[in-house]
Amino acid sequence: MTRVWKRWLPAAVVPAVVAGGAVLGTVQAGAATDLPDKTPQEVLEMVADSSVRSLSGTVEQTSELGLPQLPTDSPAGESDASSGVPSGVASALELLGGSHTARVYLDGHSQARVQVMDRLAERDVIRNGRDVWLYSSKQNAATHLILPEGSESEGYHGDKAWTPEDLAEHFLSSVEPSTEVTVGSDSEVAGRAAYELVLTPDSSETLVGSVSIAVDSETGLPLSVDVEARGQDAPAFEVGFTELSLETPSDDLFNFTPPPGATVTERVVEDHHAKHAKHAKGDRGEHSKDYVKYGSGWETVIGLPADEVPPELMDSPLIAETAQEVDGGRLLSSALVNVLVTDDGRVFAGSVPLEQLQAAAEGR
Amino acid sequence: MLAALAAVPVLIALAVRLSSRDPGPGQGPPFLDRVSQNGLFIALTGMVVSIPLFLPLTVSVAAGDTIAGEAGHGTLRYLLAAPAGRIRLLAVKYAAAVVFCLAAALSVATAGVLIGSALFDVGPITLLSGDTISVGESLLRLFLVACYVGLSLLGLAAIGLFISTLTEVPVGAMAATAVLAVVSQILDNLPQLEWLHPWLFSHHWLGFADLLRQPISWDSFAANGLLQGGYIVVFCALAYSRFATKDVLS
Repeated sequence: MTRVWKRWLPAAVVPAVVAGGAVLGTVQAGAATDLPDKTPQEVLEMVADSSVRSLSGTVEQTSELGLPQLPTDSPAGESDASSGVPSGVASALELLGGSHTARVYLDGHSQARVQVMDRLAERDVIRNGRDVWLYSSKQNAATHLILPEGSESEGYHGDKAWTPEDLAEHFLSSVEPSTEVTVGSDSEVAGRAAYELVLTPDSSETLVGSVSIAVDSETGLPLSVDVEARGQDAPAFEVGFTELSLETPSDDLFNFTPPPGATVTERVVEDHHAKHAKHAKGDRGEHSKDYVKYGSGWETVIGLPADEVPPELMDSPLIAETAQEVDGGRLLSSALVNVLVTDDGRVFAGSVPLEQLQAAAEGR
Repeated sequence: MLAALAAVPVLIALAVRLSSRDPGPGQGPPFLDRVSQNGLFIALTGMVVSIPLFLPLTVSVAAGDTIAGEAGHGTLRYLLAAPAGRIRLLAVKYAAAVVFCLAAALSVATAGVLIGSALFDVGPITLLSGDTISVGESLLRLFLVACYVGLSLLGLAAIGLFISTLTEVPVGAMAATAVLAVVSQILDNLPQLEWLHPWLFSHHWLGFADLLRQPISWDSFAANGLLQGGYIVVFCALAYSRFATKDVLS
């Protein structure tokens, strides 16, 4: 009889060891780190002082916005056209829901490549100097944008006179009236020790619970951003590196030639304004001058007049199914943002409860 | 069974060749729209089509037959009468199942490459990232894809081996293993069970696409290897315990 028990021993021990190993792996990933204490001002100075210009890494994004998941992840690979939504809007909406993994390569200000890794497909954005290529493997289509002259050397902050201290102070003074800025417990992101900068809105009238930004303790590079929504346990929006290397990526990555057989669209980006529209992913950028702002800080509500809203947007089955009827219009509700479409076609959006959107809509 | 697997890419190739209309981009199984320009894509399309059902089915048959088949034929007694030992018999049987997994994946890839080069032009292949690589490198990547798929099936083979020690009816073991493969894939598609997904043996089955990016992303290869390794260790241990304590009567 003891022989029989001995022979069943591996069947009990091996699963236990495997389970133990799996548990240990997850515990180690969350191991606490201990860094010298810093004030929010000092952490912000580190961010502003950060000199990281070349990196390659993997970025993961997950959102729990409470929106229905869009069936674009299926391996069969349906085309976006069948859903009836303009494909640009659809892909932007799709990026907001669910989780995505992307690889990011940066070299200086003018060379960048982002690869959004879908199931059995990939979407690429490659910038090399003035050339920007967008490529989607599912559609086998490439778009070539040529940026205006002089944009190769331009950074994101045109003002070179700002010192890190100034930037940190400016950020704090503009944010502090409505927000509490603290440094949370040290964390580990992508295997690097990081400071956690936590922004908590003072107002209770916003859907945003808190925003935490992990800042690399060595280089000051922001490593991850988590947005917590009120009344929800899981972070509503998370984006952060899972792997990061600060080595300069290979130059070949930034040289893109559209593959044979791909449909290529050529586009020239002319003026400065259009360029900004592109940065805003083409969606809302071009309307930016016509919106109306109500409230301030975290309670800001943006109102769009009816003629600025693309009509096909509201007719799309996607939005028709998601929106729910409320007093005075239809509401698109998510964990972080509410959007109210009034009966006369105006659109109000903000990180606020529905009542405030309705108040803004009535008050005009 | 290998011939049946090899027939999958051949059928796809003939269908594309004989139809007058090219599938548009994004239509049909992935990579199908590239086939008429580059025959090498047949191997990839064949792989994508075979992974959900054909490959697991054949592996289930091979793995479910290992012990139960001998028992069903009444030959297991004689095998054990020889001074070989039960562990050794189990190890040899699992090794045969492993070889079958790799052979199954390789036969889909090889048949795809052969029929593709016979019926269509072969040229540099376009990766998912939009970069183009030479034919030689493409064949290397296809070989890696086949290895990845073969590796993905090892966990299922271990489960099949364990189920095979439970019964003396080979068909029962085969069917149970095949059903598990399908159930695992269904569970993998239910968003409500997201916490469970990384633990399902079929979770990384379509992850071979990561080998078709530039540069290659080895993350899913490693994650898949670890996952399958866990399944192999657990179910081989279960199979050993069950088999070592079993009363072999047939």
